Amino acid sequence: MRFRKILGLAIAGAILLPTLPSLGGCAASEEIVLRVYNWEEYIDEGGEGAFIYDELHLEDESYIVNDDFTDWYEETMGEKLDVEGPTVLDDFCLWYEKEYGQPIRVEYSTFGTNEDMYNEIVLGNEYDLLCPSDYMIMKLAAEGRLEKYDESFFNEADPNNYYVRNVSPFIREKFENNAGLEIRTDDEGEPILWRDYAAGYMWGTTGFVYNPEHVTSEDLERLGWEIYTDSLYSGKITAKDNVRDTYFAALGVTYQNELLSLKHRFEQGSLSQADYVYEVTRIFNATDEETVSEVEPVLMAIKNNIYSFETDTGKSDMVKGNVYLNYAWSGDAVYALDLGEDSEDGEGYVELNYYVPEAGSNLWFDGWVMPKGANKQAAQAFVNFMSMPYNAMRNSYYIGYTSVISGENCEMLDYADYLYGYYPEEEFEEGEEYEEAVDYDLTYFFLGENYDESEEPITIPADPVQATCRQLYAQFPPREVIARSAVMDYYDVEANERINELWSRVKAESLDAWAIIVLCVTAVAIVFGVVFIKFGDKIDLLHPKPKKGYRLVKQEEVNDKGA
Amino acid sequence: MKFPHFTRKTLCIPYAVFLLFFVIIPMLVILFYAFTDRNMNISLSNFVRFFSDPTKLSTIVYSIVIALITTVICLLIAYPVAYILARSKMKKKFVILMLFVLPMWINFVLRVNAIRELFNLLASLEGMEWLSASNYFKTVFGMVYDFLPFMILPLYTTMLKIDHSLYEASADLGANGVTTFTRVTLPLSMPGIMSGVTMVFLPSMTNYVVSDMLGNAKVTIIGKFIYEYFGTDWHMGSMVALVLLIVVFLSTWLSGGFSSEENVRGANL
Repeated sequence: MRFRKILGLAIAGAILLPTLPSLGGCAASEEIVLRVYNWEEYIDEGGEGAFIYDELHLEDESYIVNDDFTDWYEETMGEKLDVEGPTVLDDFCLWYEKEYGQPIRVEYSTFGTNEDMYNEIVLGNEYDLLCPSDYMIMKLAAEGRLEKYDESFFNEADPNNYYVRNVSPFIREKFENNAGLEIRTDDEGEPILWRDYAAGYMWGTTGFVYNPEHVTSEDLERLGWEIYTDSLYSGKITAKDNVRDTYFAALGVTYQNELLSLKHRFEQGSLSQADYVYEVTRIFNATDEETVSEVEPVLMAIKNNIYSFETDTGKSDMVKGNVYLNYAWSGDAVYALDLGEDSEDGEGYVELNYYVPEAGSNLWFDGWVMPKGANKQAAQAFVNFMSMPYNAMRNSYYIGYTSVISGENCEMLDYADYLYGYYPEEEFEEGEEYEEAVDYDLTYFFLGENYDESEEPITIPADPVQATCRQLYAQFPPREVIARSAVMDYYDVEANERINELWSRVKAESLDAWAIIVLCVTAVAIVFGVVFIKFGDKIDLLHPKPKKGYRLVKQEEVNDKGA
Repeated sequence: MKFPHFTRKTLCIPYAVFLLFFVIIPMLVILFYAFTDRNMNISLSNFVRFFSDPTKLSTIVYSIVIALITTVICLLIAYPVAYILARSKMKKKFVILMLFVLPMWINFVLRVNAIRELFNLLASLEGMEWLSASNYFKTVFGMVYDFLPFMILPLYTTMLKIDHSLYEASADLGANGVTTFTRVTLPLSMPGIMSGVTMVFLPSMTNYVVSDMLGNAKVTIIGKFIYEYFGTDWHMGSMVALVLLIVVFLSTWLSGGFSSEENVRGANL
């Protein structure tokens, strides 16, 4: 008995003891936890493929924030900061502690689709910062699930407000007017504006990655969206395995002529830019019954024409040559293009191109929003940190998408120039022939879409090929592409149901003869099986001849003999 | 300090708690969602929508057909293997058995990806171009590859337990090979067949990873439907899940999976 008592005490002590010091420890450090919920692979994760600023030999490095806190790091930690090592999240924690005097820890988790994220939020999972796409921001805001950004967040005088000081004027304009979408009102009749609820992170377009060996740009220009239904590339083209993107593409196919005539009118000058965007946005967001019934046969045609519905196999299928055309988001396109070139010995090298249909395409944004109950102060600090030009470069370089940041002093121009600047006179030997560089105009991004035409244009010298169909074109689309692109709105409840039903009709197969035959055959087989098991010994046919020297006896005979 | 005395009742508590929180309550939630509309009012609209929509019914039929073909092929391959292995006196037969089971230890997504690449490679050969568009064939192939071990193992264990003296008796009484098979081997291996069939048939109705990766997502089975509906419309998703549950229940009941007779030899469900 005594032994048991001691054992019990020992166990109790073993359980309790470790908790004692931590009880004391808790009170001393008030560590803040910031819960960030972002897309998979959508942030600089350090290591291989990370952007190291030493590579960027800029004359003026004063804006590189890491510079002064590498010194600070060295002083406090007593060791040099390894520039290759820390991720942008590590750096954020250091920066935050230095700036606000409080330790912080980032709980970073990721999601795969906007809908997955939405479900998590609805289920009551708590986060401080989310990164949904445009339509999902609208949906969350309309349902009253988001906190507004503080007024002070938009105060340009505060040096720590990196977002508002560095964000591209083009993006800011889009956020001011909800990118031309219909502005809804909340319960109190207040208009729901993106700028109140979201700060941009990445943006881009959608278009086709294509293999120029098999697909000519003439074909693309001639067919546009109709390349989806044309038999020319039957079985060699992919569509996205989600209803929003594929429905969008099907709208492009269905209303291509209408879109092209709008474009023509815009180019002639009889349609203003605002009206043009309004019309294109209206067409690409139509979800009424009539439109759905018009789009349905087109979607069916697309399904029968494509190689696959895919979510992320498209990139490798392109590089391996299984398909020639892949509908992709611009950042994924950049990734696919890089992947194609990424073979040092030249084996398996594929040059891929990117093309945005003439008739118009999708312009999208992913932005930071704070769900209700978020730690707004820390969340806004996080957004500001990510908006420092250097960090924007790091993230953008790592993931291949385009940051919304242009930089107070056009720092992103240096970045674009560093990646894509083309100086043939330096690269080619004297006497060698080379293609002239073209001026790639990015004024709209750095000054806003309605910039004063008399101002000096902001350009980088570019390889003509880069400027028309490669990474530069994908990552920093030219102004014409933006002019014809529409942002997606979210579907309201009825539209959602309609589109879901449409999608399930498209994905399902109508009953074929062979399926029915298989079913019938199995049914017959099961019936036979049951009959065989139950009455097998009563069917004469199933009694084969006995072995030589044996005779088949009836059950009664056996019984008689036994009796 | 007295040590707690564990009765049978207290030992059941962990499992009962598990059962309650991870089986019974989720089922009730699914049931609730299936019969409510988006305003949480009780309604039959999902039920009506499901059964008035030919595409959903055809998807169920296709899922069943794919699962049936997979099961039959698995059975045709696995039965002889299990039979031979169980009856042979080979010393190293566990090596052969291991070779069949070994793929199960490698990550499933990796294996399916490898098959996908293999098919792509084959499709690039001359005369094999038909392969790139035959999505149903590739899906069934992937399912068979993936679920074959689940058919072999129960068959093997059941056949291993069949007493050898029964074969001898059958031969002594004058039965030839065919009769021995139909009157002795087949009936006694029935529990193994049943459990193998359930273990292959049911998952191959819902394993949409295979149909997405090998069928290029152009083959839609019922599992994919459930997944897609849960993105935007939980009520309809729950209804589809419920219908699948009923199909599963019916097929288990038909194959006698609920019988608690002694002769099931522990290989049944």
